[in-house]
Amino acid sequence: MPSRYTFQRRLPWLLLAPSVIVLLALILYPLGFALRNSFWFWNLQTSPVPLYHSGFDNYRMVFQVTPFAEALKNTLLLAGIGTFAQFWFGMGIALLLHTHLRGMGLMRALLIMPTTLAPVVAGFLFRYLLEPKGGLLPWLLEGVGFPVPPQGFLGNAGTALFSIGLVDTWQWTPFFAIVLYAGLLSISEEVLEAALVDGASAWRLFWSIALPLLRPIAAFLVMIRFMQLFNSFDLVYVLTSGGPGTASRTLSFNLYREGLVNYNIGLTAAMTWLVVIIVSVIINLYLFFIYRKREW
Amino acid sequence: MSKQKLSRRDFLKVGGAAGAALASATPLGNLARVAAQSDQTINVLTVGDPWNLALQNVTDQFTEATGITVNIETLGYEALQARLINSFLTKSADADVIAVDQMWISQMADNGWIRSLDDFISMDSDAHFDDFLPECLYSLSTWRNKVWTLPIASYAQGVMYRTDLFEAAGLDPLPASVADAGDWTWEDYFGILEQINGMDLDGTSMYGTTVIGYQPVPVVHMYTGLSASYGTRWFTQFPEAPWDFTPTINSDANVAALHDWKRLYELSPPESINYLWFDAGTRYSQGDIGMFYHWTPYFYLINNEGYLTGTPSPVVDKTATAVLPTRGAGGDQVISLGGWSLGMPSTAANQEASWQFIKWATGSEAQKAMGEVNVKGHQFADFSRQSNYDDAGLKEIYPFLDTQLEMMKLGDGKVVRPPAPIYTSLEGVYGLQINQAMTGTVSPEQALETTQILFQNILSGNQMIPYLVESFDDTLENTKALQASLSGM
Repeated sequence: MPSRYTFQRRLPWLLLAPSVIVLLALILYPLGFALRNSFWFWNLQTSPVPLYHSGFDNYRMVFQVTPFAEALKNTLLLAGIGTFAQFWFGMGIALLLHTHLRGMGLMRALLIMPTTLAPVVAGFLFRYLLEPKGGLLPWLLEGVGFPVPPQGFLGNAGTALFSIGLVDTWQWTPFFAIVLYAGLLSISEEVLEAALVDGASAWRLFWSIALPLLRPIAAFLVMIRFMQLFNSFDLVYVLTSGGPGTASRTLSFNLYREGLVNYNIGLTAAMTWLVVIIVSVIINLYLFFIYRKREW
Repeated sequence: MSKQKLSRRDFLKVGGAAGAALASATPLGNLARVAAQSDQTINVLTVGDPWNLALQNVTDQFTEATGITVNIETLGYEALQARLINSFLTKSADADVIAVDQMWISQMADNGWIRSLDDFISMDSDAHFDDFLPECLYSLSTWRNKVWTLPIASYAQGVMYRTDLFEAAGLDPLPASVADAGDWTWEDYFGILEQINGMDLDGTSMYGTTVIGYQPVPVVHMYTGLSASYGTRWFTQFPEAPWDFTPTINSDANVAALHDWKRLYELSPPESINYLWFDAGTRYSQGDIGMFYHWTPYFYLINNEGYLTGTPSPVVDKTATAVLPTRGAGGDQVISLGGWSLGMPSTAANQEASWQFIKWATGSEAQKAMGEVNVKGHQFADFSRQSNYDDAGLKEIYPFLDTQLEMMKLGDGKVVRPPAPIYTSLEGVYGLQINQAMTGTVSPEQALETTQILFQNILSGNQMIPYLVESFDDTLENTKALQASLSGM
């Protein structure tokens, strides 16, 4: 019989065990199932069950029959530039909110509204706003002499992906702003006042005090949004369906096409694993550089 | 959704002794037999195409006649496909009757997901199976010499053009029948487009035409209408046996068609690269398009200013319809024939009631009733039966029916968009490459060369090259023979 000491030492593990087991099952089982399927030929258009072991054929097919490279490039562009833009726009708005100017209370309430919209709704809204014949945005831009592509922003290969990023930025910048504003509020007034007494400029105050103190929360925000943007599907589906051509294809849209339109389960599983590997590498590199001097 | 029904008590009151006589005599005997099973409900899963609106407006008639309550659930195209496949894989009885796109038949039939209707048809003279246009059955409903569904809405393709613009340009009316279309070619078509493109009509600068450019499915639907007419075939040999799925998509005929498709796009509004089916129809309805070709439902859909809006279009009395041109004068013509049919899942709980509904909804009377529905205008002329095309009342509502019938009779859904078991995958890459060529990212030659390679990879990867499963000589002649056999002729 274990001693009281041993029992007490094991008690936390025992209490945690059910949650850990459920969590592992929920994570590992689908991944394991996908890994197994990625080595089988299984296309629901031809058979309801896996037909035969196909080695690495599905992985080879990902590159041969789907626009994987274009989708990866677009996804990285969208996630990278989108996160960067949303972070800095959000930071600017957070700093404005922090100035306690008149009307900022109302601004805070209004700001969160785009974030509460479902992406599909935001997508439909902007599809109409960007409509080349009669859409509000092209009309306004043409009014101030900004060149609007004749095919419209969503129909032009050079602007389609940018337009998706724009809509996502419209929707998610307020989220950055609100969270960063909360972070700014948590910075001690004494620290800021001490710096001011030492003669720090506003710029110095931001770069050397506020930003480093916001770093943990900012790093987390950036990581979460990057991953969300990396998995962008709704806006792509509603706004451009990945087009024109492959100009706005993303990896998630590729997965949707292969899995839920072409029903190629084996190929989709292989693509899923490639995406998992790519995202894991990016996120772990990011965490390594952000937290290399900290324990987390 | 239709909820009205005859109660058993009411039915017995009205029917009384006549019921026994009815039960013994077909065709009404079938209705009586089903009515005797009143309190039945069937679930019908359909797609949000215009025919569905018409069907929902007349379903009460079925309920009144049979006592069977019909629950109709309508989904978008991809949602319907996903829902059906999920229910088939989990073997759940999700619906008793389903709407089936012609491209799904091979997959559903080969996997045993839907029941063949051969036995129901052959035992039920009330089906008037011989009345169906064989081209519609061939394109929409048959696979490996069995009938799996019955057509509820058949679409061919034809030309719509502005008569006032033609008059202003000094152009003759276009041929509305094949007999008058001896020298009506695509080159003539392009010549007219170039003449009318940019013309001013009552202060409106006109575009020659409009295309449907959205990828992958919409652009394939419209492009294949042109390319099949140019002689493009997807595979070395299909649907004639033995099947050889080695792709031939980069043929000279298809390269010429894609070059001309780009010409069409250059004569269209630039934003039409992002147009879905109804975007093109709506654009024409709004009055700045001179001529275009599309699926035949747009012969009547353009009467509304927007898609099913009910607001009359400004072009409603200024439009005529014409047959599709051929590549060379008097040359062979192949028209795209598509549409929807009703089928019965293998898991359907109420098979007899399901059959009664399929037979009724695809029957001549119900189709006529659908055609007469006037909600936001008349919204259904997608008939698959000869008797509906001969109906004087329907011709009065839809004066283009003769032209449409001629297009149907030249239709071949198995050549224009072959329902090979992995068609969806092929359509995905094909649509993408056509769209790429439209953007100018790649040349037509490069786009079709890439399509050829991708087709080869997909078909080989799916064990279709070489094709080791038994082929079937899937010709219109064999469908006609099947139709005669099941009709007891």
